Amino acid sequence: MDKAIIVDRLVKNFEVTERKPGLSGAFSSVFYPKKKTIRALKNISFTIQTGELVGFIGPNGAGKTTTLKILSGLLHPTSGFTQVIEFDPWDRKPEFLKQISLVMGQKNQLWWDLPAIETFKLIQAIYEIPQKEYEKNLDELVELLEVKRFLNIQVRRLSLGQRMRLELLAALLYKPKVLFLDEPTIGLDLVGQQKVRDFIYEYNKKSGATILLTSHNMNDLADLARRVIVIDEGKLVFDGALEQLVHYYAKEKIIKVYLSREDEIKKLRTIGKVIKVAFPLVILTVPRSTAAVAAAEILQNFPVTDLTIEEIPVEEVIRKVFKGK
Amino acid sequence: MKKYLSLFNISLQQEFAYRLNFIMWRVRNVIQILLVFFLWDSVFSSPDRVVFGYDRTKILTYVFGTLIVRAFVLSARAVDVAGEVSSGDLSNYLVKPIDYFKYWFTRDISSKVLNFVFAIAETVLLFLILKPPFFLQTNPLYLLGFIISIALAMFIFFVILFITSAIPFWMPEVAWGAQFIVIMIITEFLSGALFPIDILPQAIQNVLYLLPFPYLIFFPLQVYLGKPGAMEIVRGLSVSLFWAVLLWFLMKSIWGKGLKVYQAFGR
Repeated sequence: MDKAIIVDRLVKNFEVTERKPGLSGAFSSVFYPKKKTIRALKNISFTIQTGELVGFIGPNGAGKTTTLKILSGLLHPTSGFTQVIEFDPWDRKPEFLKQISLVMGQKNQLWWDLPAIETFKLIQAIYEIPQKEYEKNLDELVELLEVKRFLNIQVRRLSLGQRMRLELLAALLYKPKVLFLDEPTIGLDLVGQQKVRDFIYEYNKKSGATILLTSHNMNDLADLARRVIVIDEGKLVFDGALEQLVHYYAKEKIIKVYLSREDEIKKLRTIGKVIKVAFPLVILTVPRSTAAVAAAEILQNFPVTDLTIEEIPVEEVIRKVFKGK
Repeated sequence: MKKYLSLFNISLQQEFAYRLNFIMWRVRNVIQILLVFFLWDSVFSSPDRVVFGYDRTKILTYVFGTLIVRAFVLSARAVDVAGEVSSGDLSNYLVKPIDYFKYWFTRDISSKVLNFVFAIAETVLLFLILKPPFFLQTNPLYLLGFIISIALAMFIFFVILFITSAIPFWMPEVAWGAQFIVIMIITEFLSGALFPIDILPQAIQNVLYLLPFPYLIFFPLQVYLGKPGAMEIVRGLSVSLFWAVLLWFLMKSIWGKGLKVYQAFGR
């Protein structure tokens, strides 16, 4: 078994009732409900190999979360084929559910009024984890996530970042083979984000679990995912390596030059598009194909102290992807 | 089985975490009992007066009986289910290898156990204060009938709750309204929690006895009081068994359909 996830021509429609604004609108929608079909996913296909860590990106409402929910068996697909570790997710067989985990950054499963450790004990019972294994997994995860101090504190008293790490712990206690992460770093500060990211990376490497992760945070993707799938308006727009995405959409490269004299700056405009001047630094973009030539020219004709050629940041590329649809 | 035991355990802890809520709920029960008690006490001010086939002892036993039977039948954690369907919190359970129905049933039982303990304590306390005459049923057959009817009542009420909780699958915004109708109107009124059903006109009674509601509170208490004969008890138990089975299949089918249109809200 090397294909962990197969999605083939997946379609999902939602029926929603439209409501006109105002009280009379609310009234008429009770008696004459106007149904509208929202086509959340239109024919999406992809496969993911066992052990891969794939980033799933797209603007709000693109269908990322819907896909994750279908793959974890929460939503019934309108049509198409889905298979996760050789199960049909919709059947929600216990053997299937024991091997997957869905973490939604905005939903919590920890019991709010009790310390997290109580929820963990419940999870142990639900997933039928043998005592020894439970202790081993718990110790390991507690260490990785640095949460020992929070285990015995009522969950409601914890900060979002502390809680999120405990949520992750709860989701991984039974060592799922497939992990669906929906915005795992949402609402966390930079340190918290980094901790969660490091952890996901470690977990993927150590356990060989297949991970599909959605995020709006481009650092998440740049750090974690080698492969990305981009969807927009329910359609698959791109599926491939992250660098490829950059190549494909970023037609330009960035040259950063440090000059020793200020008077030459204007002349740089003849070489490329100057986007920022903060002497001694000047940043300009040049077409990808002529980047090397341009750099050589600058080195020859300007008083350069330092020069680098860089790719456009992923974040910007993705913004372009969504704008240029 | 072990998973449900563990769940039972954590549910009890949760109940204790909401101490104040719980106490208020019990206070409400006691006040309600006092109200109904004084009402009937004044109706039956003379000890040998018999109204609707009830004398003072039996009606007051009925009132105290509702306290205990309520604690068993009508106190249900599963009132939260509709909210979970509507908010999308249901998702948390669907992705786990646990049966959602059994999950709530377990939580219900834990809540019932706790309520039961308190109800007994309250009954004893009220008993000492009000010193009402109390009818003690000693016939083991009636007691057996009482226990069976209570078990069926618990199950029926639970399944009814699950059926109304499925409404938000189609109309997510009515989560609470549906529960309100069921709990406040139907169960309080038609189950015999406020007054014994058999004081109603015979025609209405005849219709009510075909519905599941009188079997929640009224019927079990009647059995305890030894009012119905053996045939009537068997017939009553059969009707409530019939409803338990019918409602169970209805619930299964509605939830099967509901889960298909479930939109797992909350992103």
